[in-house]
Amino acid sequence: MPNRTVKIFNSNSRRAETARGSPSLVNGARLRTSSLRGSWVRIPPPALLSGTRDRNVFLCITGTFGVGLNTAVQTFDLTKAYGNAKALDALNLKVRQGEILVLLGPNGSGKTTFLNLISTVLRPTSGTATVMGYDIVKQSLKVRETIGISFQEPRGFWRHKPYHILSFHAAIYGLKGKEKSEVVDQTLKDFELWTSRNKRFMELSGGQGKRLEVAKLFVNRPKVAVFDEPTAMVDLDGKRLIWDKIRQLREQGSTLVVATNEVREAEYLADRISIMKGGKEVVTQDLRTLKDSISGGDVVEVGVSPTITSGALKAIEEVPGTVRVTQTSENMLNAFVNRSEDWLPQMMASVQSFGVKITSIRVSEPSLDDVFLHYTGKEAVKASA
Amino acid sequence: MRELFTLLGYELRETFDSIPWTVYFWFYFGFQYFVYGQLVSRLILEPHDYYLYYGTGLLIIMTFNVASWSGRRFVEGAHEGRLRYILSLPIRRSGLFAEQLLLGLIANLVRIGPPLVLVLWLNGMPPAVLLTSTAVLLSMSVGIMGIMISLSFIAFKSFDIYSAIVATTSAILIRFSTILYPFSYMPEAYESVARFNPLTYGADLLRNVMSIDVSQLLSPGTAIVVVAAVGLATLSLGMVLVPRTLEGVRSS
Repeated sequence: MPNRTVKIFNSNSRRAETARGSPSLVNGARLRTSSLRGSWVRIPPPALLSGTRDRNVFLCITGTFGVGLNTAVQTFDLTKAYGNAKALDALNLKVRQGEILVLLGPNGSGKTTFLNLISTVLRPTSGTATVMGYDIVKQSLKVRETIGISFQEPRGFWRHKPYHILSFHAAIYGLKGKEKSEVVDQTLKDFELWTSRNKRFMELSGGQGKRLEVAKLFVNRPKVAVFDEPTAMVDLDGKRLIWDKIRQLREQGSTLVVATNEVREAEYLADRISIMKGGKEVVTQDLRTLKDSISGGDVVEVGVSPTITSGALKAIEEVPGTVRVTQTSENMLNAFVNRSEDWLPQMMASVQSFGVKITSIRVSEPSLDDVFLHYTGKEAVKASA
Repeated sequence: MRELFTLLGYELRETFDSIPWTVYFWFYFGFQYFVYGQLVSRLILEPHDYYLYYGTGLLIIMTFNVASWSGRRFVEGAHEGRLRYILSLPIRRSGLFAEQLLLGLIANLVRIGPPLVLVLWLNGMPPAVLLTSTAVLLSMSVGIMGIMISLSFIAFKSFDIYSAIVATTSAILIRFSTILYPFSYMPEAYESVARFNPLTYGADLLRNVMSIDVSQLLSPGTAIVVVAAVGLATLSLGMVLVPRTLEGVRSS
């Protein structure tokens, strides 16, 4: 394979460097070198520290690339500023291929800016990102061929009709003739827009307009599909329809990024959830890990007979995983614990010796609301300080 | 290229979907030419055949208006969100700029073409003049569209300020030019301002190709150079400014 010049972002010196080499094998798998050309490639500090100064070695053997094999989208200190205000502040986020990553955050947290940046609708102020290996600044056309965005507010041609709007979208992505008609007809039916196909866009209801906006991405089925609040203004039936379709798109091989304010939407869709605040990523994890990450998040309500003795109460407090215990009556208590599934058997064993009989147990785990508030509330401020 | 022509087709469809708007342009011309033009040319004895002079001036005013509309449409597209959608499609930014210009030229041709044919036919001019005068009007419209689209960055901050600037620019450019009266009838102060106005050169060039009162016009060579230079300069400015402006828009 011929040598190629590859630009490297050295995260130690935080400077761009250039290396010539043959970036053909990474972890035993072949990379498309054309996707590397001119793009920013990040090599983590351990790799730079551990070997020779010849960066070609890292490229070929130990390099972990921004365009890594399982990465659909990766950002490198991605920043968008308007004057002094930073809508997105040095974001480093990775979206795995084939997953649904839900961005959850309050208004102004940078979710929409992030989606617009990776779709190349906006240009970053500094930093960059790759989408399926293509740099959003230097290979923006390639990125646009790869990604599709469904905007927060329906966008398009106000005087046109749903049929023509989808037909235009299909034509832009190269569908033509009978294939185009079939895809457009089917998409209109799938999104329950068939009977409104000849109404003008401006005559559609808010929910219909939103469904049409989402439906556009089902015409060309991009490799990376991003949805900005896909069910805002949509009724419950419409929400379910859109959620099912989004999951279907993932099953067909697309990678999805969904920005939302709705906790229920995040719970329903997400493989992983990224909570954002103030233009920064606060945490990114799967739902289970996020819930487990809240100390004392599980609340166990325990009923006993005849009454709770001081010895039994002390024993419960000493069970590993107990954060706090509150006695609510003579024979009831609330225990705030980590991982209730591990805590419960130990608690039951420890109270047996005090002659106390357990009559009822009710476990409630933290909701995503609790997680969201935990990470975007005062605790998150302390954590980042 | 396929994407660009697909986009052009859809934008043309939207542009001409509103038939009353195009008919309005023709009605406006007819009313101005056959009513106001007739009346005012009875009062004005010099220059000779002011009716034809006025008719050509009216064509230039309409060209200016339609070309200004292209810039306004571009801005409206940003505010309505259509432009942001188009920016997300796999189309080069430079291609998008070219497509907007082509759209403006076709809109110009459709809206100005019939009045131009009418003026030429009523004055017994040969078909060759139709080609040359169309070329002059389209060249002028490229320059005007370039200016208006380049100014669009103001509109992303404030549509009101943009509208005020466009209206003021229109008023100044049209009045301080030879669109409605030749140099020889202008006070000296007016004349010195009009000589810096690109519309003056466009108007005189159009009258040159129609062979109207050539003695009172600027040299066609100079006029060609100025019209071409303004077109190229504003196009280049637009190609540099527009992509930067569009991608810096926070919300629309």
